[in-house]
Amino acid sequence: MTDRRRINGPSGGTRPPVFASSIKSTTTATERPQRQRQPNELRKIFLKTGLIPSASGSSYLEFEHSASLSAARALPKSLIPPSSSLKLACTVHGPKPLPRSATFSPNLVLTTHVKYAPFAARKRKGHIRDASERDLGVHLETALRGVIVAERWPKSGLDITITILEAEDDRWWGDAPDSHDAAWGMMNVLAGCITAASAAIADARIDCLDLVAGGVAAVVVDESVDGGEPSTPRLMLDTDPAEHRSLLSACVVAYMPARDEITELWLKGDNSKASVGTDDKSLSYETLIDGAVDAARGAHSVLAEAVRESAERLAGLETGYST
Amino acid sequence: MASTATAPAPQPIPPSLSLPPSQFARLQPHAYLLAHLSPPASSQQPSIRANGRSPSQFRVTSANTGSLTHTNGSAVVRLGDTTAVCGVKAEILHTEDIASWSVSHSSSSSFASNKRRKLTNPTAKLGEDRTDSGDNESHIEDFSLLVPNLSLSTGCAPGLIPGAPPSALAQSMSHQILSLLHTSRLVRAEDLQIWYERPNFGPEEPEHHNESEQMDVDVEQEGSDEASIQTGEIKAFWVLYIDIMIISLAGNPFDAAWTAVLAALRDTKLPRAWWDVDNETVVCSDIVSEARKLSLWGLPIASSFGVFEADAAAGWRSVTIQDAEEERKLAEGDRKGIQRRWVLADPDGYEEGLSQERVCLVVDKPQGGDGKVFIVKMEKNGGFAVDRKELKELVDISTRRWEDINQILKQC
Amino acid sequence: MTAQRQASSASQIPHLSPAELSYLYTSLSLPGTPIRPDGRSPTQFRPLSAETDILPGTNGSARVGFADGTQAIVGVKAEVERTVLGVQALSQAEQQEYAEGNEGADGGAGAKQGSTSGQGSWVQMCIEIPGFRDDDALPVFLSEMMREPLVESVSGGEKDGDGDEGGMVGGLKGRLVINRRWHWRLYIDVLLLSQPLSYPLPLLSLTTHLALLATKLPKLKSKGEEDPFFDDDWNAAEYLYPRVRTTRASIPGSIHKVRPPVTLLVISVAENIVFDPSREEIAVADTVLAISITYDTGSNCLKLLSIRTVDPPSRLTQPSVPNSENVATLGSTAAAEASAIINPSTGEEEVSGVWRPRRGGVKRATIARMVKMVLEKGGVGEEVLDGLEGVEVG
Repeated sequence: MTDRRRINGPSGGTRPPVFASSIKSTTTATERPQRQRQPNELRKIFLKTGLIPSASGSSYLEFEHSASLSAARALPKSLIPPSSSLKLACTVHGPKPLPRSATFSPNLVLTTHVKYAPFAARKRKGHIRDASERDLGVHLETALRGVIVAERWPKSGLDITITILEAEDDRWWGDAPDSHDAAWGMMNVLAGCITAASAAIADARIDCLDLVAGGVAAVVVDESVDGGEPSTPRLMLDTDPAEHRSLLSACVVAYMPARDEITELWLKGDNSKASVGTDDKSLSYETLIDGAVDAARGAHSVLAEAVRESAERLAGLETGYST
Repeated sequence: MASTATAPAPQPIPPSLSLPPSQFARLQPHAYLLAHLSPPASSQQPSIRANGRSPSQFRVTSANTGSLTHTNGSAVVRLGDTTAVCGVKAEILHTEDIASWSVSHSSSSSFASNKRRKLTNPTAKLGEDRTDSGDNESHIEDFSLLVPNLSLSTGCAPGLIPGAPPSALAQSMSHQILSLLHTSRLVRAEDLQIWYERPNFGPEEPEHHNESEQMDVDVEQEGSDEASIQTGEIKAFWVLYIDIMIISLAGNPFDAAWTAVLAALRDTKLPRAWWDVDNETVVCSDIVSEARKLSLWGLPIASSFGVFEADAAAGWRSVTIQDAEEERKLAEGDRKGIQRRWVLADPDGYEEGLSQERVCLVVDKPQGGDGKVFIVKMEKNGGFAVDRKELKELVDISTRRWEDINQILKQC
Repeated sequence: MTAQRQASSASQIPHLSPAELSYLYTSLSLPGTPIRPDGRSPTQFRPLSAETDILPGTNGSARVGFADGTQAIVGVKAEVERTVLGVQALSQAEQQEYAEGNEGADGGAGAKQGSTSGQGSWVQMCIEIPGFRDDDALPVFLSEMMREPLVESVSGGEKDGDGDEGGMVGGLKGRLVINRRWHWRLYIDVLLLSQPLSYPLPLLSLTTHLALLATKLPKLKSKGEEDPFFDDDWNAAEYLYPRVRTTRASIPGSIHKVRPPVTLLVISVAENIVFDPSREEIAVADTVLAISITYDTGSNCLKLLSIRTVDPPSRLTQPSVPNSENVATLGSTAAAEASAIINPSTGEEEVSGVWRPRRGGVKRATIARMVKMVLEKGGVGEEVLDGLEGVEVG
């Protein structure tokens, strides 16, 4: 069934390009990008509010390029990007009256919508939301609903829309597609969505309990420096899945620093290292959650700065009117 | 939007009802804009739009290319508060996947020579090429090698529901972009072809492509000398998926989208690709120096206009003889210096809502054309205001706009 | 629109009055000993009836019914499918070289794939819930929530295949590999037979678990890299999750060495933690967590596979009005004001007996307590898995 409302490509279907260097993994260009940051060092976040004037609140979020990506951009050698960095735009529309057909709600009704641009990922995405995008929407909604003081807007709706322009990789491109095929990149995307949505909600002047920020931590196994046996699992904050040989488990939280509470927790992966029976307490799920919380605290400082700018802009506008 | 205007001091607001300008703009949009455009003669104010621009002035435009990692080419174009992001992703269409691909298409020596010419003379003159490769060009349309899609469901404006199927506006703009890409022949079909050269030079090993680039170029150049004896075959095409996301919508999305498409296509790099006989598939090289940019034909640039009429009811009237008389009267009024309608370049969202008549012009000024201006597309909807004389003026404005955008695109 | 919105909160908005909610919350939050509406203890599950192999047309199936009448049926179908190796298939020769010395090899990019590890996309899960479209948020969220631990029970980096019979090299994904070019594709279809009376996750998860335990795949007769063909004798078929019948099994008394994961629903109400909540209990929960666990083959204890927060419907409930703000009872507010206290967690004035929709999140300590109750020896998780083991399979 073709989509008649869009322009479809050739009916026979097209194939993504296959690169010669990915067939023969001998050239030096196919080296896994290395993490240059400390285990507890986060990537810089660019967060700006109010770029979309027609929305009641908006924000744009971008992660700093990883060292490998910025090197590849400065001196391009290969057409295959070593890794990517998250870029997304978030808009908030509302509070606005619910449609007439809707049932009565004593609270603000939140609708979240997360969509990847077709060119956001290594593999072209479809125009219709797939299961993972819907899943992200539900996660985001859970994260935000605990923060918004919803009973101040009865019978109203709030639409939060996130367009992901560039997503994080799930794995290094040179790895086999099944080596760790869980959607690890999705967790980084979710953390970014939470932070950006929080800024946009504040920009729309919706009452919140606190600014909620997203953070990711993961237990990773890296190749050791000499290329021998893999190193022991380590906890890393704000992991870029492309930079690691494998991720054992990862965790994303939506965290409110002022209340020390988590509104959304998504932890997955093999926590056998973290099970109660083993002696290695240093990598238990609790440490993982604590790590994600630390990452969220880092994102929160950026978030607070962006919201402060948003408030100053509004204050400037208001004084502009009065004079 | 309108509230940010540097509002001129003499507001025609009744003193009894002192509304702030932003409120008045919402309640009486037509009167508000009219008041800006026709200030009382007593005040020395120039006629200026509510957003502070003169009628023929476009918004500040900026473009930025190549920032998206996973695309072959990308661009972000900001036209005032309207923002369009365009990403071009290239995929491969094997000829075996084309149902209508027949033997007649393959191994025609004229194609081979065509390709040779392009390789030796990549900056072919406009006009001479445009005419003689019509058969080639039909590939782009026949096999739909260009797939533009515009999406408005990004939360860019309050009325558009995200997740809903594309609105009528998005659909029509996607098709306008598609037809403009086809009719302007912006992308050359040769750029999208992936060839397989049968090794004719004796028992040459089939994997000559894996050698260094210099070798390869040598082989190609030898080939160009002996194009007559070489038989090539198109084994695949590049398909360009051109996706435009309107991130922020504040009027005139078409200009922003088309400029973004243009900038992204100028930024697009296709990897060198060849037919790998062993694996029976197309394989690409990831070496940047081997990749080549698309060589676009010309630079068609779009500019849109909206017509604002002082008599708000004029648009509702049907074409009657009385109207024609009124037109004449209005023309007289023009002569007296009372302007009754304004053609507003690059209307923002507020002005778009107030104008019934739209004009969209796409013009190109080719390099070797001695300053001649080609009208690539001309579209005018509704209204009875813009006549031949005014259209000519609009073409002049569009030409000036062409120069501006040309500069902006050159710099990014 | 409305249905979708309800679904996106991953639960239904309960039709309980604020007074009822407040009563429920108070009884469930009694320190130490919560009083549940049906009299269960905090860790007690609702009684259920279960049977397996009810659908002869499937490779494995199960039916679970709760006492309240909700039933779920799960059918598992397996199909043989050609493995699309994509890029890596192009260099088969090189691969073979790698495969030879594959022990702990980690350098070559294309080395590890192929014979041992499968792909998560080979397991497809589809959930049908009456009253919901299959692309509504609730079914999508549920199937992602249940599929995720299933395909991930062994992650890529882990190599626990020490050749033990009954072990599953590479987890479920690895089990689906037939040879380099062929694999099984597993379709898990989950049907809820009635409108969900409570959050259907525990029911669906238990049913899926049983169906997977009962799933058999026909015995492979071909060898190595040949195109696969199978024994048509159904009696010779092998279980998807292999069973250990020898006494050599490291876990005495257990017939499954590897078991599919189970997802448990846990809620917290004030300081109390309650398992297998009914709809009324979820309606007042502060936090709802879905915790997936399975047996760890190595250390013979439970391991955690995933945790997800579920949006508690208590956030969507209608607040009640304290007497002090009620116009109808204006004037008789002295008593109400006296009992007003400031809730430390919400920072708002809280009048006892007046329902406020829950707000905010969950403390880390609470999460830790919930997970610990599931995982600890002799804890709830073990009890559930042992209980499921008792269900006659096959």
